[in-house]
Amino acid sequence: MSADRPKWAEWADWVREKDDPRSAGPKLEALEGLVVLDLSSQSYAGAYCSSMLSEFGAEVIRVEPPQGDFLRTCTPYGLVHQGEGLNYLVEGRNKYHVTLDLNQPEGREVLQGLAAQADVLLETFPLGTMDAWGLGYEDLKKTNPGLIFASITAHGQFGPEADDPMPDYDNVAQAKSGIHYATGAMLPPEHDAGTCPWAVSTKASPWIAWCSAGTFMATGILAALHWRHRTGQGQALDVATTEAYMRLDNYTHIWFQGGGHVTERVGGLDNALWLYCFAPTSDGGVFLGGLRLEMWQAFCDMMGKWDEWGVGDWDSLSPFLNQEAQLKYFPEVAKFTSRHTSGELERMAVEYSRSGRLAPITTVIAPILSPQEAMLDPNWNERGIFTPTQDPVYGRVVAAQAQHKMTETPIRTKWVCRPVGYDNAFIYRKYMGYGPERLSRLRQDGVL
Amino acid sequence: MAEATWRDYVKNKPKKPKPLSGLRVLEVCTIVFGPSGPSWLAEMGAEAIKVEIPPLGDLERDLSCSGFRFKEQSPLFLHDNVNKYYLGLDLHKPEGQEIFCQLAAKADIIENNLRPGVMERFNVDYRKIEKINPGIIYLEKNGFGNWGPYAEENRPSNDGASQAFSGIAWMSTFPGQTPVKQMIYLSDMYGALLAEVAVLSALRHRDRTGKGQYIEISQTESIMRTMSWVWPYLDITGQNPPPAGNRDVSVCPADTFCCADGSLVSLAAAAPQEFAGLCAAMDRPELAHDQRFADHLTRLQEENATALLEIIAAWAAQQSPREIEALAREHGFAASRVRDAAQVMADQHIRQRGFMTQVDDAMYGTYLDHEFPVMMSATPPQKKWAARAVGFDNEFLMKNLLNKSEEELKALYETGALGKWADRPGRRPPPDWDGSSDLILSRDQTPAQAERGEK
Repeated sequence: MSADRPKWAEWADWVREKDDPRSAGPKLEALEGLVVLDLSSQSYAGAYCSSMLSEFGAEVIRVEPPQGDFLRTCTPYGLVHQGEGLNYLVEGRNKYHVTLDLNQPEGREVLQGLAAQADVLLETFPLGTMDAWGLGYEDLKKTNPGLIFASITAHGQFGPEADDPMPDYDNVAQAKSGIHYATGAMLPPEHDAGTCPWAVSTKASPWIAWCSAGTFMATGILAALHWRHRTGQGQALDVATTEAYMRLDNYTHIWFQGGGHVTERVGGLDNALWLYCFAPTSDGGVFLGGLRLEMWQAFCDMMGKWDEWGVGDWDSLSPFLNQEAQLKYFPEVAKFTSRHTSGELERMAVEYSRSGRLAPITTVIAPILSPQEAMLDPNWNERGIFTPTQDPVYGRVVAAQAQHKMTETPIRTKWVCRPVGYDNAFIYRKYMGYGPERLSRLRQDGVL
Repeated sequence: MAEATWRDYVKNKPKKPKPLSGLRVLEVCTIVFGPSGPSWLAEMGAEAIKVEIPPLGDLERDLSCSGFRFKEQSPLFLHDNVNKYYLGLDLHKPEGQEIFCQLAAKADIIENNLRPGVMERFNVDYRKIEKINPGIIYLEKNGFGNWGPYAEENRPSNDGASQAFSGIAWMSTFPGQTPVKQMIYLSDMYGALLAEVAVLSALRHRDRTGKGQYIEISQTESIMRTMSWVWPYLDITGQNPPPAGNRDVSVCPADTFCCADGSLVSLAAAAPQEFAGLCAAMDRPELAHDQRFADHLTRLQEENATALLEIIAAWAAQQSPREIEALAREHGFAASRVRDAAQVMADQHIRQRGFMTQVDDAMYGTYLDHEFPVMMSATPPQKKWAARAVGFDNEFLMKNLLNKSEEELKALYETGALGKWADRPGRRPPPDWDGSSDLILSRDQTPAQAERGEK
């Protein structure tokens, strides 16, 4: 690499020196000193949201019922690592884990004590649960007017369906968003759902709606924190998971307003862009991308269609930006890509950028990698994404991390998870001054 | 009570302050991944100045939905660029770079999504801006970050490439089938969102210390972060997690089922009381006590999950979507039709919550668009105005922020440092624009004309 490094290599070196995750340890943390109570219940949106904060150094106190949160059991195919489901295994990161039975008056009293000392409270219970416990925003703000009280639910805190107690699940939120409907393989001609059961609306994997809700809430909490810094005023925040995911859809709602158009599935194609599609190869598939006419022309050239199609005479991409044209050209594209491996096509694009008729213009060709191939890719490992965490309790665990690279206050993963109630002694001592005797009584009474 | 907190939330929105008011954001952003982030900050009240190279500006202005445009504008551009001020500034020109630096000195946040090294070539990279404004929070977003093998290869990236590279596309399909691309620009939108968590965390650091910083975000690293269990699963089993179609393999039961009328319903009923509710709804209460389905971890085992999902599929095939939704409500599990755009647009709940909100814009008229999806009781985010043409607010920005004289302004236009829109759809104002509406300050109008709304 050193032989032909880019002109801006000195800049790359400067950035790396400043933000390589390997040097994050001793740096300051953006959210140091921020105390967050995470009461979220069977919600990855909640767990993910508090991870966003704990990665930045907030002290997140994860409050679970004595038997642990149901989310710990949500794990692919029932697989567990040291008794822990794999989702929670990576999303308990940097958090302190305490137990508390909020169905008992004494448990609620302890919670009030913690809430009086917290900056943020995050909860995902069905609407009305916190109020019924006397732990709603209107109750808690009396003792802590600066509190930021954040709720993530299926339907939100108000509106005609808010009182529908429907539990919040990722797959159902995806179904409600409109995005799921418009994603998936197109039915091949002369087939139906019976012969092609896979040619239906297809959701995204794994928990993208929950991640969207959690991440939007994290931005809301941080904006509210800035407001509180200026005014001292706290507030309540409300995210509905369906709305959060729907917000990532750029156009189906606007297209609908242009004459009632309902966006349908286009498989690996795209409604707004060309050349921009997934295409099959002899050993998998590739993404082909060329947002400019010249990049599509370059691909036609690679396919050997320059003269046959009169590609050199094309002067606009517009004729290709409708489905009719795409369905006409895509079979030709697929016929060509199917004859090659993904690797051959990738190299072909690089070669074209050097010696092709339109060089240096070429087409973006990216192999559709399996997660395993992605995880083994040296690029991401060099950038610290899959550095195994050596967890004090769970040992070696690979969790995606270091996604925020920052010069002053980088994120870090200190530990990935904690067993249920692991930090009871520390947290209740630190915030409530409870010693072993008090804790032992609370445990006996089933409060912890 | 939640009811007291949220009463009249939508009605009172205009009367309440915004959480990021007083913050100034400069963006040099393009195509979805770039401009979405500053748009969210602007919806929370920041003053976002969209810097575009005149006369064509952001390429997102070109994108249509199979040819459909909204009053000539790209629906995507309209969605990703609200509450912003529009500056046509050519960063290739030294005079343009100088203006950028003058604005950067007064900015709090700078965001761009250009390839590594480009801002340096424009002489407006972090190291230069930091000298003028040490408090600056400077975000760069792209495919592979600013260092590492792919960045140095100068590999181009975009949303589709990122879906392919991250492994998420490989998983988001049915077993044995070619991966499908997400209809949304998932890596772009999610990467843009995750980047704002870093920006707002950096703001907290700055609120406390006065210090700014440099942030780099890769869209692929961002989407990899969402793939939770996939990475420990790979590390522990050494196997690729197989694609599973619509089934959520971490929750059981959670899948999408075909109803009697051929339409789809997604359903989830994992917690004990929810699962018992589903069994009762199916009139199969004995299933709740079946050894194979005794608890969640047992149900999740492949053999048991397959058996259970088959039972539910056979039941769902005899129901209508409406019946299943009603039973879910009655028995306390989760279910919804897989809704299309028409059903989403008919949803009165999201309308009354003000999430699907009516924008009332002097240039694009009234239309429905998404509000920022975090409702904030004291400082509600709000969409106030829509997209504008390239360089639409040049005069106002130059006068108000830099107090440029007529001569200086003229010189900037003559060198090409400042410029306005090309006469092309999406770049220019909509065809029915009257030539003056919504201009905050115009060089071409006399005061009398301005008052009459004439050009």
